[in-house]
Amino acid sequence: MTRDFDDLVGGEGLGPGEEERLRRVHDLLVQAGPPPDLTPSLEEYGAHELPDADAELVQFPLLPRRRLAAAVVLAAALALAAFGAGYLVGHRKEASFDARRVYTMHGADGAIASILAGPRDEVGNWQMHFNVTGLPQQAEGGYYRLYLVRNGKPVVVCGSFRVNGKTTKLVFTVPYKARNFEGWVVTRQAPGHHEPGPVVLST
Amino acid sequence: MALALSIRTIAPLTHESDAELIQRAGEGDRSAFDTLYRRYARPVFGLALRRLGDRGRAEDAVQETFASIWRSARTYKPERGPGAPWLYAVARNAIVDRGRARPEPPTEPPDEAGTDPGPPERAEQSWVAWRIHRALEELPEREREVITLAYWSGLSQSEVAEFLGIPLGTVKTRTRTALQRLADILDGELE
Repeated sequence: MTRDFDDLVGGEGLGPGEEERLRRVHDLLVQAGPPPDLTPSLEEYGAHELPDADAELVQFPLLPRRRLAAAVVLAAALALAAFGAGYLVGHRKEASFDARRVYTMHGADGAIASILAGPRDEVGNWQMHFNVTGLPQQAEGGYYRLYLVRNGKPVVVCGSFRVNGKTTKLVFTVPYKARNFEGWVVTRQAPGHHEPGPVVLST
Repeated sequence: MALALSIRTIAPLTHESDAELIQRAGEGDRSAFDTLYRRYARPVFGLALRRLGDRGRAEDAVQETFASIWRSARTYKPERGPGAPWLYAVARNAIVDRGRARPEPPTEPPDEAGTDPGPPERAEQSWVAWRIHRALEELPEREREVITLAYWSGLSQSEVAEFLGIPLGTVKTRTRTALQRLADILDGELE
Protein backbone atom coordinates (compact mmCIF):
# COMPACT_ATOMS: atom_id res chain seq x y z
CA MET A 1 0.00 0.00 0.00
CA THR A 2 1.41 3.40 -0.98
CA ARG A 3 1.00 5.83 1.87
CA ASP A 4 0.19 9.41 1.10
CA PHE A 5 1.87 12.18 3.04
CA ASP A 6 -1.22 14.35 3.12
CA ASP A 7 -3.25 11.45 4.47
CA LEU A 8 -0.73 10.46 7.12
CA VAL A 9 0.63 13.79 8.26
CA GLY A 10 -0.93 16.68 6.40
CA GLY A 11 0.66 20.03 5.96
CA GLU A 12 -1.57 22.07 8.25
CA GLY A 13 0.39 24.29 10.56
CA LEU A 14 3.70 23.50 8.92
CA GLY A 15 5.89 26.09 7.30
CA PRO A 16 6.99 25.37 3.71
CA GLY A 17 10.50 24.41 4.80
CA GLU A 18 9.30 22.10 7.53
CA GLU A 19 6.73 20.46 5.28
CA GLU A 20 9.40 19.80 2.67
CA ARG A 21 11.66 18.33 5.34
CA LEU A 22 8.94 15.96 6.57
CA ARG A 23 7.93 14.99 3.03
CA ARG A 24 11.55 14.03 2.41
CA VAL A 25 11.53 11.72 5.45
CA HIS A 26 8.16 10.34 4.40
CA ASP A 27 9.55 9.50 0.95
CA LEU A 28 12.58 7.83 2.52
CA LEU A 29 10.37 5.71 4.77
CA VAL A 30 8.37 4.56 1.78
CA GLN A 31 11.56 3.88 -0.17
CA ALA A 32 13.23 1.98 2.66
CA GLY A 33 10.36 -0.37 3.41
CA PRO A 34 9.90 -2.05 6.76
CA PRO A 35 12.81 -3.32 8.79
CA PRO A 36 12.60 -7.05 9.36
CA ASP A 37 11.71 -8.53 12.71
CA LEU A 38 14.68 -10.20 14.31
CA THR A 39 14.70 -13.94 14.73
CA PRO A 40 14.44 -15.21 18.33
CA SER A 41 18.13 -15.99 18.51
CA LEU A 42 19.02 -12.52 17.26
CA GLU A 43 16.61 -11.00 19.80
CA GLU A 44 18.41 -12.90 22.54
CA TYR A 45 21.89 -12.10 21.41
CA GLY A 46 23.94 -9.61 23.37
CA ALA A 47 27.42 -8.87 24.55
CA HIS A 48 27.08 -11.56 27.21
CA GLU A 49 27.55 -14.03 24.37
CA LEU A 50 30.95 -12.69 23.38
CA PRO A 51 34.36 -13.80 24.49
CA ASP A 52 36.50 -11.19 26.11
CA ALA A 53 38.09 -9.17 23.34
CA ASP A 54 41.38 -9.40 25.24
CA ALA A 55 41.15 -13.12 25.86
CA GLU A 56 44.32 -14.88 24.86
CA LEU A 57 43.97 -17.29 21.97
CA VAL A 58 45.87 -20.41 22.96
CA GLN A 59 47.28 -22.87 20.45
CA PHE A 60 48.27 -26.25 21.77
CA PRO A 61 51.51 -27.82 20.50
CA LEU A 62 49.62 -30.69 18.93
CA LEU A 63 48.05 -28.27 16.50
CA PRO A 64 50.06 -28.65 13.25
CA ARG A 65 51.55 -25.43 11.99
CA ARG A 66 49.73 -25.70 8.70
CA ARG A 67 46.48 -25.41 10.57
CA LEU A 68 47.35 -22.18 12.33
CA ALA A 69 45.75 -20.04 9.68
CA ALA A 70 42.60 -22.09 9.89
CA ALA A 71 42.68 -21.77 13.64
CA VAL A 72 42.79 -18.01 13.36
CA VAL A 73 39.72 -18.19 11.17
CA LEU A 74 38.13 -20.44 13.73
CA ALA A 75 38.91 -17.95 16.42
CA ALA A 76 37.04 -15.43 14.35
CA ALA A 77 34.12 -17.82 14.35
CA LEU A 78 34.13 -18.14 18.12
CA ALA A 79 31.55 -15.54 18.69
CA LEU A 80 29.47 -17.12 15.97
CA ALA A 81 29.57 -20.37 17.86
CA ALA A 82 28.33 -18.54 20.90
CA PHE A 83 25.61 -16.62 19.12
CA GLY A 84 22.15 -17.98 19.35
CA ALA A 85 23.17 -20.58 21.83
CA GLY A 86 21.62 -18.68 24.68
CA TYR A 87 18.33 -19.08 22.90
CA LEU A 88 18.81 -22.81 22.61
CA VAL A 89 19.64 -23.33 26.25
CA GLY A 90 16.89 -21.41 27.87
CA HIS A 91 16.06 -17.97 26.51
CA ARG A 92 17.81 -16.18 29.30
CA LYS A 93 20.53 -13.64 29.61
CA GLU A 94 23.66 -14.61 31.44
CA ALA A 95 25.95 -12.60 33.56
CA SER A 96 29.00 -11.42 31.71
CA PHE A 97 31.67 -14.11 31.60
CA ASP A 98 35.24 -13.09 32.22
CA ALA A 99 37.05 -15.22 29.64
CA ARG A 100 40.80 -15.30 30.14
CA ARG A 101 41.78 -17.75 27.42
CA VAL A 102 40.17 -19.03 24.27
CA TYR A 103 40.81 -22.48 22.82
CA THR A 104 39.54 -23.57 19.44
CA MET A 105 38.62 -27.03 18.25
CA HIS A 106 37.69 -28.34 14.86
CA GLY A 107 36.66 -31.60 13.25
CA ALA A 108 35.23 -33.17 10.15
CA ASP A 109 32.41 -31.64 8.10
CA GLY A 110 32.98 -28.16 9.44
CA ALA A 111 32.32 -28.95 13.09
CA ILE A 112 33.89 -26.34 15.32
CA ALA A 113 34.00 -25.64 19.02
CA SER A 114 35.44 -23.11 21.36
CA ILE A 115 36.37 -23.17 25.00
CA LEU A 116 36.32 -19.91 26.88
CA ALA A 117 38.30 -20.39 30.03
CA GLY A 118 37.45 -18.29 33.05
CA PRO A 119 39.59 -17.41 36.06
CA ARG A 120 40.25 -19.89 38.85
CA ASP A 121 38.27 -19.49 42.03
CA GLU A 122 39.88 -19.52 45.47
CA VAL A 123 40.01 -23.31 45.59
CA GLY A 124 41.28 -23.83 42.05
CA ASN A 125 38.12 -24.57 40.10
CA TRP A 126 37.44 -22.72 36.88
CA GLN A 127 34.55 -22.50 34.49
CA MET A 128 34.81 -23.38 30.86
CA HIS A 129 32.13 -22.14 28.49
CA PHE A 130 32.05 -24.73 25.76
CA ASN A 131 30.28 -23.89 22.50
CA VAL A 132 30.03 -26.49 19.80
CA THR A 133 28.54 -26.23 16.32
CA GLY A 134 28.17 -28.77 13.56
CA LEU A 135 28.25 -32.08 15.41
CA PRO A 136 25.46 -34.40 14.34
CA GLN A 137 22.74 -35.32 16.78
CA GLN A 138 23.21 -38.85 18.04
CA ALA A 139 20.68 -41.63 18.32
CA GLU A 140 18.98 -42.30 21.64
CA GLY A 141 21.59 -43.18 24.27
CA GLY A 142 24.53 -41.80 22.34
CA TYR A 143 26.42 -38.75 23.54
CA TYR A 144 29.71 -36.85 23.32
CA ARG A 145 32.51 -36.38 25.82
CA LEU A 146 35.04 -33.61 26.21
CA TYR A 147 38.43 -34.98 27.28
CA LEU A 148 41.76 -33.47 28.17
CA VAL A 149 44.57 -35.15 26.28
CA ARG A 150 47.93 -36.36 27.54
CA ASN A 151 50.47 -38.38 25.55
CA GLY A 152 48.09 -38.23 22.63
CA LYS A 153 45.29 -40.00 24.50
CA PRO A 154 42.08 -38.75 26.06
CA VAL A 155 42.62 -39.18 29.79
CA VAL A 156 40.47 -36.78 31.84
CA VAL A 157 36.76 -36.20 31.30
CA CYS A 158 35.66 -32.58 31.50
CA GLY A 159 32.04 -33.32 30.72
CA SER A 160 29.51 -35.29 28.70
CA PHE A 161 26.85 -33.80 26.51
CA ARG A 162 24.35 -34.28 23.75
CA VAL A 163 23.70 -31.94 20.84
CA ASN A 164 20.75 -31.08 18.65
CA GLY A 165 22.71 -30.67 15.43
CA LYS A 166 22.92 -26.89 15.70
CA THR A 167 24.88 -24.89 18.26
CA THR A 168 25.05 -26.20 21.78
CA LYS A 169 26.41 -24.18 24.65
CA LEU A 170 27.55 -25.78 27.86
CA VAL A 171 29.27 -24.71 31.02
CA PHE A 172 31.60 -27.12 32.82
CA THR A 173 33.51 -26.48 36.00
CA VAL A 174 36.80 -28.31 36.33
CA PRO A 175 39.85 -28.23 38.64
CA TYR A 176 42.48 -29.30 36.08
CA LYS A 177 45.35 -27.18 34.89
CA ALA A 178 45.16 -26.98 31.13
CA ARG A 179 48.88 -26.39 30.81
CA ASN A 180 49.51 -29.90 32.16
CA PHE A 181 47.80 -31.35 29.10
CA GLU A 182 48.29 -31.27 25.37
CA GLY A 183 44.81 -30.14 24.48
CA TRP A 184 41.23 -31.32 24.28
CA VAL A 185 39.31 -33.75 22.15
CA VAL A 186 35.63 -34.55 21.83
CA THR A 187 34.76 -38.20 21.39
CA ARG A 188 31.59 -39.79 20.10
CA GLN A 189 30.23 -42.23 22.65
CA ALA A 190 27.96 -45.03 21.52
CA PRO A 191 25.13 -46.09 23.83
CA GLY A 192 26.42 -48.17 26.72
CA HIS A 193 30.11 -47.54 25.93
CA HIS A 194 32.16 -45.65 28.47
CA GLU A 195 35.68 -45.97 27.09
CA PRO A 196 36.76 -43.06 24.88
CA GLY A 197 35.12 -43.38 21.47
CA PRO A 198 36.29 -42.02 18.11
CA VAL A 199 37.62 -38.45 18.18
CA VAL A 200 35.33 -36.02 16.34
CA LEU A 201 36.88 -32.70 17.42
CA SER A 202 40.34 -31.73 18.56
CA THR A 203 42.34 -28.65 19.49
CA MET B 1 -6.99 -8.72 10.29
CA ALA B 2 -4.00 -10.61 11.56
CA LEU B 3 -1.16 -8.35 12.55
CA ALA B 4 2.29 -9.89 12.37
CA LEU B 5 4.21 -6.94 13.73
CA SER B 6 6.08 -7.51 16.91
CA ILE B 7 5.98 -4.86 19.59
CA ARG B 8 9.39 -5.01 21.11
CA THR B 9 10.42 -4.23 24.60
CA ILE B 10 11.41 -0.67 25.21
CA ALA B 11 15.13 -0.18 24.99
CA PRO B 12 16.59 2.69 26.96
CA LEU B 13 17.37 5.61 24.71
CA THR B 14 20.92 6.72 24.61
CA HIS B 15 22.28 9.85 23.06
CA GLU B 16 25.78 8.55 22.65
CA SER B 17 26.98 8.71 19.11
CA ASP B 18 27.84 5.61 17.14
CA ALA B 19 31.47 6.68 17.16
CA GLU B 20 31.55 6.92 20.94
CA LEU B 21 29.93 3.53 21.30
CA ILE B 22 32.32 1.88 18.83
CA GLN B 23 35.28 3.33 20.68
CA ARG B 24 33.96 2.09 24.01
CA ALA B 25 33.28 -1.34 22.53
CA GLY B 26 36.87 -1.31 21.31
CA GLU B 27 37.93 -0.90 24.90
CA GLY B 28 35.93 -3.99 25.84
CA ASP B 29 32.81 -2.20 27.10
CA ARG B 30 30.02 -4.74 26.67
CA SER B 31 27.21 -2.32 27.48
CA ALA B 32 28.35 -0.08 24.62
CA PHE B 33 28.39 -3.11 22.37
CA ASP B 34 24.88 -4.05 23.49
CA THR B 35 23.67 -0.55 22.67
CA LEU B 36 25.24 -0.77 19.23
CA TYR B 37 23.58 -4.12 18.74
CA ARG B 38 20.15 -2.81 19.71
CA ARG B 39 20.68 0.12 17.40
CA TYR B 40 21.95 -1.80 14.39
CA ALA B 41 20.72 -5.39 14.56
CA ARG B 42 17.66 -4.76 12.44
CA PRO B 43 19.41 -2.60 9.84
CA VAL B 44 22.10 -5.28 9.48
CA PHE B 45 19.49 -8.01 9.30
CA GLY B 46 17.54 -6.05 6.70
CA LEU B 47 20.66 -5.47 4.62
CA ALA B 48 21.58 -9.15 4.84
CA LEU B 49 18.09 -10.27 3.90
CA ARG B 50 18.08 -8.06 0.83
CA ARG B 51 21.49 -9.29 -0.27
CA LEU B 52 21.20 -12.97 0.61
CA GLY B 53 17.47 -13.58 0.33
CA ASP B 54 17.45 -16.20 3.05
CA ARG B 55 16.67 -15.69 6.72
CA GLY B 56 19.06 -18.38 7.95
CA ARG B 57 22.01 -17.05 6.00
CA ALA B 58 21.06 -13.50 6.93
CA GLU B 59 21.04 -14.47 10.59
CA ASP B 60 24.53 -15.93 10.21
CA ALA B 61 25.66 -12.73 8.52
CA VAL B 62 24.32 -10.64 11.40
CA GLN B 63 26.21 -12.78 13.86
CA GLU B 64 29.39 -12.52 11.84
CA THR B 65 28.96 -8.77 11.50
CA PHE B 66 28.74 -8.21 15.22
CA ALA B 67 31.56 -10.63 15.93
CA SER B 68 33.64 -8.55 13.52
CA ILE B 69 32.56 -5.33 15.19
CA TRP B 70 33.53 -6.68 18.59
CA ARG B 71 36.92 -7.81 17.34
CA SER B 72 37.78 -4.79 15.23
CA ALA B 73 36.15 -1.89 17.08
CA ARG B 74 39.53 -0.86 18.44
CA THR B 75 40.71 -0.19 14.88
CA TYR B 76 37.99 2.39 14.29
CA LYS B 77 39.36 5.93 13.91
CA PRO B 78 36.74 8.60 14.54
CA GLU B 79 38.82 11.23 12.76
CA ARG B 80 38.27 9.29 9.52
CA GLY B 81 34.51 9.58 9.67
CA PRO B 82 31.35 8.86 11.62
CA GLY B 83 30.44 5.44 12.92
CA ALA B 84 27.52 4.53 10.67
CA PRO B 85 29.56 4.18 7.45
CA TRP B 86 32.19 2.14 9.30
CA LEU B 87 29.51 -0.20 10.64
CA TYR B 88 27.93 -0.38 7.21
CA ALA B 89 31.26 -1.40 5.69
CA VAL B 90 31.80 -4.09 8.30
CA ALA B 91 28.28 -5.40 7.72
CA ARG B 92 28.63 -5.33 3.96
CA ASN B 93 31.90 -7.28 4.12
CA ALA B 94 30.40 -9.91 6.42
CA ILE B 95 27.39 -10.27 4.16
CA VAL B 96 29.54 -10.55 1.03
CA ASP B 97 31.62 -13.22 2.78
CA ARG B 98 28.48 -15.08 3.73
CA GLY B 99 27.30 -14.86 0.14
CA ARG B 100 30.56 -16.35 -1.08
CA ALA B 101 30.33 -19.19 1.43
CA ARG B 102 27.52 -20.76 -0.53
CA PRO B 103 27.60 -19.85 -4.23
CA GLU B 104 24.36 -19.08 -5.90
CA PRO B 105 23.03 -21.92 -8.05
CA PRO B 106 23.65 -21.45 -11.77
CA THR B 107 20.76 -19.80 -13.56
CA GLU B 108 19.83 -19.28 -17.15
CA PRO B 109 20.61 -15.79 -18.46
CA PRO B 110 17.46 -13.72 -18.93
CA ASP B 111 16.19 -13.24 -22.47
CA GLU B 112 15.52 -9.56 -21.96
CA ALA B 113 17.07 -6.84 -19.91
CA GLY B 114 15.42 -6.81 -16.51
CA THR B 115 13.93 -3.82 -14.81
CA ASP B 116 15.59 -4.62 -11.50
CA PRO B 117 17.93 -1.92 -10.21
CA GLY B 118 21.60 -2.35 -11.02
CA PRO B 119 24.38 -2.63 -8.44
CA PRO B 120 24.83 1.14 -7.92
CA GLU B 121 21.10 1.64 -7.38
CA ARG B 122 20.90 -1.34 -5.05
CA ALA B 123 23.82 -0.02 -3.04
CA GLU B 124 22.13 3.36 -2.73
CA GLN B 125 18.84 1.76 -1.70
CA SER B 126 20.67 -0.37 0.86
CA TRP B 127 22.35 2.66 2.36
CA VAL B 128 19.08 4.59 2.55
CA ALA B 129 17.28 1.68 4.17
CA TRP B 130 20.20 1.19 6.55
CA ARG B 131 20.06 4.79 7.75
CA ILE B 132 16.28 4.89 7.98
CA HIS B 133 16.08 1.67 9.95
CA ARG B 134 18.91 2.75 12.19
CA ALA B 135 17.20 6.11 12.81
CA LEU B 136 13.96 4.33 13.67
CA GLU B 137 15.77 2.58 16.51
CA GLU B 138 16.32 5.97 18.10
CA LEU B 139 12.64 6.84 18.26
CA PRO B 140 10.69 6.38 21.46
CA GLU B 141 8.81 3.09 21.30
CA ARG B 142 5.37 4.65 20.99
CA GLU B 143 6.46 6.72 17.98
CA ARG B 144 8.25 3.83 16.29
CA GLU B 145 5.14 1.76 16.81
CA VAL B 146 2.94 4.31 15.07
CA ILE B 147 5.35 4.69 12.15
CA THR B 148 5.61 0.94 11.70
CA LEU B 149 1.87 0.51 11.71
CA ALA B 150 1.09 3.58 9.63
CA TYR B 151 3.60 2.88 6.87
CA TRP B 152 3.97 -0.86 6.66
CA SER B 153 1.07 -2.70 8.25
CA GLY B 154 -1.52 -1.93 5.62
CA LEU B 155 -3.81 -0.47 8.26
CA SER B 156 -5.56 2.82 7.76
CA GLN B 157 -4.91 5.50 10.38
CA SER B 158 -8.33 4.84 11.90
CA GLU B 159 -7.41 1.15 12.17
CA VAL B 160 -4.06 2.06 13.71
CA ALA B 161 -5.89 4.18 16.28
CA GLU B 162 -8.26 1.33 17.03
CA PHE B 163 -5.44 -1.19 17.24
CA LEU B 164 -3.46 0.95 19.68
CA GLY B 165 -6.52 2.14 21.56
CA ILE B 166 -5.67 5.80 21.13
CA PRO B 167 -7.56 8.67 19.43
CA LEU B 168 -7.02 9.25 15.71
CA GLY B 169 -5.67 12.72 16.48
CA THR B 170 -2.99 11.16 18.67
CA VAL B 171 -1.94 8.86 15.84
CA LYS B 172 -1.53 11.86 13.56
CA THR B 173 0.34 13.82 16.21
CA ARG B 174 2.70 10.96 16.93
CA THR B 175 3.29 10.38 13.23
CA ARG B 176 4.20 14.01 12.71
CA THR B 177 6.40 14.09 15.81
CA ALA B 178 8.15 10.92 14.71
CA LEU B 179 8.83 12.34 11.24
CA GLN B 180 10.24 15.49 12.78
CA ARG B 181 12.47 13.44 15.04
CA LEU B 182 13.62 11.30 12.12
CA ALA B 183 14.32 14.43 10.10
CA ASP B 184 16.49 15.72 12.94
CA ILE B 185 18.37 12.43 13.22
CA LEU B 186 18.92 12.22 9.47
CA ASP B 187 19.65 15.89 8.99
CA GLY B 188 22.41 16.28 6.42
CA GLU B 189 22.96 12.55 6.00
CA LEU B 190 20.66 11.67 3.13
CA GLU B 191 20.76 14.46 0.61
